[in-house]
Amino acid sequence: MDFALTPDHVTLLDALEGLVKPFTTAPIGEVPFALGNDELEAALVEGGFLEIAREPEFGLVGAMLVVERAARLPFAVEAANSAFIGPLLGDEVQRPVCVAEHDRLWQPVRYLADGATLLVLGENDTVSTLTPSPGSVLADPDSLFAYPMGFLARDEAALAAAATDLDGRQVRMRANLALASEATGLLRAALASTIEHLSERKQFGRPLATFQALRHRLAEIHVRTDSLYWMTLRAAGLGDPGEAALAALHAQESARIAVYDFHQMMGAMGMTLEHPLHFWSYRLKALIGENGGRGRQARKAAQLLWQK
Amino acid sequence: MKAESETRENPSMDFEWTEDQQAFREAVRGFIERNVPPDWEEVAAHGPGNEELTRQSRLFCAALAEQDLLFPHWPVELGGQGADPWHQQILAEEMWSAGEPRGAQYMNVNWIGPTLVRYGSEEQKERYLPPIVNGDAIWCQGFSEPGAGSDLASLRTSAVLEGDSYRINGQKIWTSYARLADTCFLLARTGPDRKSGISIFLLPMDTPGITVREIPSIIGEGDIHEVFFDDVLVPAGARLGEEGQAWEIIDYSLRNERLGIPRYHLARKALDRAVATLEAHGDFADGAVRIEAARAASLCEASRAAIYAIVSQRAHGEAVGPEAATARFATVMAERAVAEFIVEHLPGALGTGDPFLKMHHQRGIVAGIASGAAEIQLNLVATSVLNLPREPR
Repeated sequence: MDFALTPDHVTLLDALEGLVKPFTTAPIGEVPFALGNDELEAALVEGGFLEIAREPEFGLVGAMLVVERAARLPFAVEAANSAFIGPLLGDEVQRPVCVAEHDRLWQPVRYLADGATLLVLGENDTVSTLTPSPGSVLADPDSLFAYPMGFLARDEAALAAAATDLDGRQVRMRANLALASEATGLLRAALASTIEHLSERKQFGRPLATFQALRHRLAEIHVRTDSLYWMTLRAAGLGDPGEAALAALHAQESARIAVYDFHQMMGAMGMTLEHPLHFWSYRLKALIGENGGRGRQARKAAQLLWQK
Repeated sequence: MKAESETRENPSMDFEWTEDQQAFREAVRGFIERNVPPDWEEVAAHGPGNEELTRQSRLFCAALAEQDLLFPHWPVELGGQGADPWHQQILAEEMWSAGEPRGAQYMNVNWIGPTLVRYGSEEQKERYLPPIVNGDAIWCQGFSEPGAGSDLASLRTSAVLEGDSYRINGQKIWTSYARLADTCFLLARTGPDRKSGISIFLLPMDTPGITVREIPSIIGEGDIHEVFFDDVLVPAGARLGEEGQAWEIIDYSLRNERLGIPRYHLARKALDRAVATLEAHGDFADGAVRIEAARAASLCEASRAAIYAIVSQRAHGEAVGPEAATARFATVMAERAVAEFIVEHLPGALGTGDPFLKMHHQRGIVAGIASGAAEIQLNLVATSVLNLPREPR
């Protein structure tokens, strides 16, 4: 048992840090909620970072480190599903890679657009693909979620998807690792940003972060975030569906609790678009409903743990 | 990206137990199975310091000592095997999840013994170490007072030097194992300064002037006491270290205790058992029950991962920093979620239904109270991990 990163992983993180450096500052003001960045996306793709799990010395832990770091940036880039699930889809993966539950296809799907790969998770661990006909994906420019969201018209969603021979347990496990890794980065970024604000803003003559009512809540979110990081790393290293489901559940539970607190503690600053909090917090909100949502995630985890 | 795996010197990142670690766990489990009596679960459910458990713990620990399993993590020069922190963690997990058959003696091997070795006089070492290494010493920890719990440095029990003796007066409270203990590891005030006015005394519990009163508690028998010191005279040679050195010594003593008891391990075992019982009765089909069970499991595994990350640091020779407080709080969350699950979905276990689950529940109550309140852990996280500006004093 050893949780220390390998020298390969450390090298990977160093390289990644250099890559993301120009993209760490959040633009503020009149920018879209779903703020993407083509340059960042191209750099991640060209640097091979989304292919990292294909390399045995990096594996799913490598994907976790890439996704977690990228998620801390203010820009939304589809890295998670590509990095985790992409390697199962052959050499030429049509990005973005989107995942949806079969009975929630009519709900908005993160990054869904014409030309995307849409994997549909069915009952009994089946996976099918759905290639939307051109023009059938409707973008939702008014979505509050800070990801590009697309959804299928109802009649399109009702179309039969093409069956695949992908292992549904493997796809779901990787989708859960993708979710947990992304949530870890989002929680870290949102927490750091909230701490920075509460340490500077003074009320009653002293920084808000000196009030115990807020300190304990920040500390509790840190406990959740830190333990999520380690359990996701462990689940990725083990490649275990049960552990991955528990990590995703912990991520969704923690997102639900923390997001409310971030906005509450930040006060009006977290609502105004002068502050970047919403980029992370509204992405976290989107993740709460991913992979079937928190409740279904928990039921599936229970099945994996106790009814093998 | 160039792989450097071939050139790396120190292997790292392995989430499986090594064969050696697995074998050690099996050995500890096997030992426990062979050495606890058939009615052990019932005995343990009567409280961690009850008379029968304490009697059995002396036999159990003596047998552990014979098998070199009492303190394998002690350095070789102290008589241990110099086992790494993972072995220490495995030993603690197996013992605690079996109801801690070492009774009070887990404290001896974790910190009292090593502290005596480092700070004790030759006379103290000769007197107190043999019973510890033979598995036959019961100690109690005289720290908390009615007015000094989380704020330990405000303790008022006094030790006044009179010739070559100290006269001790005061009161301790919530003292585990006090009624059956041979010796008290006592903190008392020898000077006015908050921290540097505190000294440690190794006080035989049969010294005249000591009165122990058990406080009935949900945890069971023998766990919580009040201890009164009325003009207790103790020779100056019973002082551990110098006058005023207590704070420094405790800091050293508890360094290895900062991760706390591996409660996540027993909590997960209790949860698995509760689910198996529900399943056997056809009561685990309800989605609502499953959701809460999985939620509790996720908190157990979150806690385990946070703790293992720190054990891993220690195994690499790094000091345990304030992140230990983070992991401790994660453990409290896990313990609470499992206890709440059982209260809600298997309430009969808290009566005669299942002594093991009852034992888990009773011991879990103090998860956020004993050995440093959960709120103190959050304070540490806020100040020393998150580096928030300090609260005004």
